[in-house]
Amino acid sequence: MTIPASLLGEVAGLLGILVILSALYLQSQTFVDPTIRAVAVQSLLLAGFFVVLYLESGVADLLYLAAITAGIRGILIPVVMLYQVRRFKHSLRESGTGQRVPSLVIVGVLMTIGGYALFKTALLPTLSNPSASVPFVLVLLSFLLIVTRRNALTQMTGFLEEENAVLYAGALIAPTIPLLIEFAVVLDILGVVLVGVILSATRDVLRTLEEPELEQLTG
Amino acid sequence: MDQSILFVGLLAAPAVGAAISLVPRDGVEILASLVSSAAAVLVSLLLLASGASGAFGFFYSDGLTRIITITISSIFFTSVAYSWFYVKRINEPLIRFRWYYSLLDLFAFTMLLAVTVNDLGFVWIAIEATTVTSALLVALERERTSVEAAWRYTLIVSAGLVSSLLSVIFVYFSQGTLLISDLTAGPLQAGLLMPLAVGFALVGYGTKAGIAPMHAWLPDAHSEAPSPVSAMFSGILLPTSIYALVRTFNLLQGLASFAAMQNLLIGFGIFTALLAAIIIGYQRNYKRMLAYSSMENMGIILVGFALGGIGAIGAVIQIVAHAFAKSSAFYGAGNILVSYESKSMAEVQGVASRLKYSGYLFALSCLAVTGAPPFGVFVGEFMIIAQAMSTGNFALVLLLAAVYTYTFIGLNRQSVRMVFGVSPTGGGTLEDKAAKQGTNSARENWLSVAIPLANLLVALGIGVYMSPLLLQAAQGIVP
Repeated sequence: MTIPASLLGEVAGLLGILVILSALYLQSQTFVDPTIRAVAVQSLLLAGFFVVLYLESGVADLLYLAAITAGIRGILIPVVMLYQVRRFKHSLRESGTGQRVPSLVIVGVLMTIGGYALFKTALLPTLSNPSASVPFVLVLLSFLLIVTRRNALTQMTGFLEEENAVLYAGALIAPTIPLLIEFAVVLDILGVVLVGVILSATRDVLRTLEEPELEQLTG
Repeated sequence: MDQSILFVGLLAAPAVGAAISLVPRDGVEILASLVSSAAAVLVSLLLLASGASGAFGFFYSDGLTRIITITISSIFFTSVAYSWFYVKRINEPLIRFRWYYSLLDLFAFTMLLAVTVNDLGFVWIAIEATTVTSALLVALERERTSVEAAWRYTLIVSAGLVSSLLSVIFVYFSQGTLLISDLTAGPLQAGLLMPLAVGFALVGYGTKAGIAPMHAWLPDAHSEAPSPVSAMFSGILLPTSIYALVRTFNLLQGLASFAAMQNLLIGFGIFTALLAAIIIGYQRNYKRMLAYSSMENMGIILVGFALGGIGAIGAVIQIVAHAFAKSSAFYGAGNILVSYESKSMAEVQGVASRLKYSGYLFALSCLAVTGAPPFGVFVGEFMIIAQAMSTGNFALVLLLAAVYTYTFIGLNRQSVRMVFGVSPTGGGTLEDKAAKQGTNSARENWLSVAIPLANLLVALGIGVYMSPLLLQAAQGIVP
């Protein structure tokens, strides 16, 4: 049975909107564990999007990309991160971010609107694919998450979101690009190194996952 | 001889060294790394002499490749050798020493891969892999600050580098290929995506190269990493990232957007150099001071590549000379750190009286990296400012002159104070002082002096004797 192309297009569009909503949900969290769960859900949505693209285009790499995205960023890395959270109950909530969250959500919404407007003006004439606005906005939101949070695990979710955004863009704009799978694998290895090794060392040596204000690392 | 075998040999050397280093027998790791890095130097020299140009299957080579390759191999070799002296003093390393040497070899492998592959996608993968292989090296000393610096380094650089993946995607979307040999053969499709690709490459690779304002990781990582790793970061990792950026930027040659992106790169380059020049004078930590000096050099090098002509040749010469001079400075800083056990300039005074050779070596290295004649950095900087003058961009000439002057005064004033200033412990023999302070009286040894001295002499040699091989290879990079 062949799935109508129009239906696949509708599903892809819906998944794109859900990805953006998950990014805005990430911005609205002050606790660390829902942030991790949200980025896991976002990765699973993205994996679904890659499957839809595969059904549309028949490019087998997209199917592998979906499997990597769901397996590593949707399940493995979030599970390891949630384990880190359980080891550090006092780090469940970010210090000092709570009061800023409403304004950060507003900034996030404004960035979404502004990013879309910028995309429509500058990139749409060249890329001629309106759906590409989703990863473009997602990159901006991931940067916002990384620069405004102090907790290492939340910054890590920002990195995962950025990775989702760029692979989203790659699969959408140039699905036949060589090395797409390799790009994803290298980024995931980096994610595993960040979470598994550096975070463990940070936890063991610093006894906290909050970014400390170290006197010697200034200037 | 099939020249592609040279590339295979070049990459095989550190890869094999990394594997053998993990054999759990004392001394194997240093021996394996020394032999593999020496082999890499030898193969790089053969590659330089062969003049290999063009595509060789999976690999690509031109003047820039050949010069950066020999630079990476050489600093890799000297850093391995210096590690022999340096890492022994680390009491509780984060990882075992055999893992340290293995990662050092893999770090060199990923950099060599980045500058020799014929595919922009693989260039990106290799540069991303340099982060994976070097993250733990930064945190080796297992101190609060080094672990924190490793985290900042990995997160900021990774977040930045994801942007350069967008650059790769845009290049492929607009040109239908990622092969450097095909892209340089031209003609390329015009349009908005190519300048955008350069813009994203500037953000991504620029983050890794320490270009402001994406440089936040650099002073922390350089100052907290063990000195041999700092030398590799400053001397060869930053230029490897610049290489990737320049490869993307040079694709714009002949396109209408070239001038706009050229100005953008010049703007970021000069901003980086100015910012670093201002900050250098206020540093309290001598390794951070050297880190900002690296930023200043990378800013000037970026300006040189963007200007093209003899500016680009000057940038290549500066890359090589800076790598040798700065690694010498970091090794000297390592000797000082071993003796004083402090990175604070306030606590490190009168080095020349405590460490007979290292003090002078440190002061001379600081002169070399700030472009004092006749060191090679001076030649590079001179060629870059000459190119700026020939294009009639006098505002840029003035800014470059200001950067050169301000950095020279700022850095050397601090180093002279450290090396020749009066020790806070007062008079007495060196041994008395060490005893009074209760400090580590560890002294420099022949190895810890010979390595920075050798690198400093190479930096000097580049300035006083312009090797025809170097010039020939450097001229090859001007499009």
